[in-house]
Amino acid sequence: MPATQDRVPVTVLTGFLGSGKTTLLNRILSANHGKRIAVIENEFGEIGVDQDLVISSEEEIFEMNNGCLCCTVRGDLIRILGNLMKRRDKFDYILIETTGMADPGPVAQTFYMDDEVKAATTIDGIVALVDAKHVLLHWDSHEVQEQIAFADVVLLNKTDLVTPAELDKLEHLIRKMNATAKIHRTKNAEIDLTNVLNVKGFDLDRILDHEPDFLKAGGHHHHHHEHEHEHDEHDHSNCDHDHGHCEHDHDHDHKHEHKPQALGVIEHDHVHDTTVSSVGITTSGDLDARKLNAWMSNLLKEKGQDIFRMKGVLSIKGEANRFVFQGIHMLFDGKVDKPWGNTPRSNKLVFIGRNLDRDELTAGFKSCLA
Amino acid sequence: MARFNLFGKSENRLRPVWQAAVPDHVISVAWSPDGAHVAAAAISGPILVFDARTGKPLHELKGHGFGTAALAWQPNGALLASVGQDKKVRLWSAAAGTEAHALDAGASWGEKVVWHPSGQYLAAAAGKVCRVFDSTGALLRELPAQAGTVMDAKWRPGTNHLTLLAYGAATTYDPLRGTDPVKVLAWKGSPLVMAWSPDGKILAHGNQDSTVHFWYYDESRDLQMWGYRTKVRELAWDMSSRYLATGGGPVVCVWDCQAGPNGPEGSKPTMLQDGHDEEGTLTALAYQSRGFLLASAGTDGRVILWQPTARRGAQVGAFEFAGGEASVLAWSADEKSLAAGCGSGALAVFRAG
Repeated sequence: MPATQDRVPVTVLTGFLGSGKTTLLNRILSANHGKRIAVIENEFGEIGVDQDLVISSEEEIFEMNNGCLCCTVRGDLIRILGNLMKRRDKFDYILIETTGMADPGPVAQTFYMDDEVKAATTIDGIVALVDAKHVLLHWDSHEVQEQIAFADVVLLNKTDLVTPAELDKLEHLIRKMNATAKIHRTKNAEIDLTNVLNVKGFDLDRILDHEPDFLKAGGHHHHHHEHEHEHDEHDHSNCDHDHGHCEHDHDHDHKHEHKPQALGVIEHDHVHDTTVSSVGITTSGDLDARKLNAWMSNLLKEKGQDIFRMKGVLSIKGEANRFVFQGIHMLFDGKVDKPWGNTPRSNKLVFIGRNLDRDELTAGFKSCLA
Repeated sequence: MARFNLFGKSENRLRPVWQAAVPDHVISVAWSPDGAHVAAAAISGPILVFDARTGKPLHELKGHGFGTAALAWQPNGALLASVGQDKKVRLWSAAAGTEAHALDAGASWGEKVVWHPSGQYLAAAAGKVCRVFDSTGALLRELPAQAGTVMDAKWRPGTNHLTLLAYGAATTYDPLRGTDPVKVLAWKGSPLVMAWSPDGKILAHGNQDSTVHFWYYDESRDLQMWGYRTKVRELAWDMSSRYLATGGGPVVCVWDCQAGPNGPEGSKPTMLQDGHDEEGTLTALAYQSRGFLLASAGTDGRVILWQPTARRGAQVGAFEFAGGEASVLAWSADEKSLAAGCGSGALAVFRAG
């Protein structure tokens, strides 16, 4: 596969009709960035373009494998992106505007499940526009919750129509759902475009680059631990962490070994949440690769549908380097990253999803400690 | 390339005759039935008509706004049909270089156009619909919208029936009589391309989930073949309806439908090794319709000629484009010539055999 920088970055814009998607699109297209941009829109908008290209498409959701939900992709995007990439006329950037009713999951999964799309493009980020004035009217809708949960960047737009106190309240609600997204307050979708383009939200090299506050709290991971660094012939053959791997593992080797360890798990006000929420886990200690793999496989198999996004940095026993991962539903994308060096080893991960059971997730993760 | 020395002293049976430039990635290529012309469509729209003997470009047709997707030359006739992203089906008097008809395709993003072997009817798929026209451009029928985009459309050999391949099913219609389906072969998945065996008995489709599905049409019995590296968009039947060549990776995989009592089920296919670059994938396969030769094209830029049933050395010819993938293939009507398009904008014609 070509290096990330050779692939054309794609930003997905989500948000309800009237949230400001078209305004933002026009800002991006009219900004003087010298880039050739292709826009794939599912919703008819008033987009003014000169040198850029706008393609309208109808959302087509395909289950690629018989009944496997994690393999749900967007057939229309596969066709259009495949066609665009073959042209002599190359684009520097692609924007996908989805309808307010679209599920961002299949859009994101398309960039991992289709070989042609994966080879030529890379998903850079999901930007959700939120109408600060009206979003609370349909706050309970699946669409609003999913768009916020999947987002790397949330633009809290139309700030001029609400009071600062209302904005604070809204930001707090969004933060509870999605602990890792960057939230920007905007009026008329006015924003420095570096905050929405090239955000590298799915880039394994940038996982938790900007560590969410709730993982920093507690401070348990700041004290130094002595670890045994076993450098003898550790291999990752047991570790089934393929790029874009679809977890169909039926291994039920799921043991709960509760070790009494000081764990920096941050307590939140919800234990079990029927709506969308974020669960962050921070612990010191090294993980047993085999146990972790079994737990993760089982978790994704059982709960993958409810887990929208996850990301983390892990300390695997016997491994001198950090293990970084991110995922969308049942898709798991991970790799061995740079060495820990003098940095204290620790594990930090975040799940964003629906019906997440914080205690169960935390206990399950702890059971993977070596 | 060292690996082409595999022929040893035997001759390369794929002999380049000419090469010509096309403005963009070649997405479709078609021969006139008399073999005098060959047309190539650029993905960005223009259609070039060449003198097949010399490679001299005779006409540049404007094609379709934003992009042309497919070409089909009328059997026994003079019309070249094209479809593209401008919601039009266009019929060209290709020898004269003029447009004869511009027909409403019913939806934008037209993907497929296919003539009935009689040359009297033309089916064109765009979006979820397929329209059937006669050769004067009159609309005969619009078939019911499919569950998703019509990915492929093919006439069942020996009949007036048209099969549409879309998400979830391959549905066959008798468009001259009406719009009720003759048969629905439902399959939960996302198919990409189909090929009817020349005897009309087996419908094969290649799929997004890296499988190939076989339907024994009359019995509605199906088989699934898996183990492909990637999605399967390349299918070609040999003239006897016995062998199906499939892509879905860098190696041509040939199934023998007479391998056992259940056709290819459980059999080991023939893998045509040492042809295309292991890092790439195939892009097109084309069997002669009255001969034993199979041509393959790949992202590695190679066009390879095979005689898959040969006991020794199935590879009998090879060529490599200087840059860019080999994207499409078409045999001339007399099957002595092969045309191959290139992703970097070139068309090559070979004598093959």
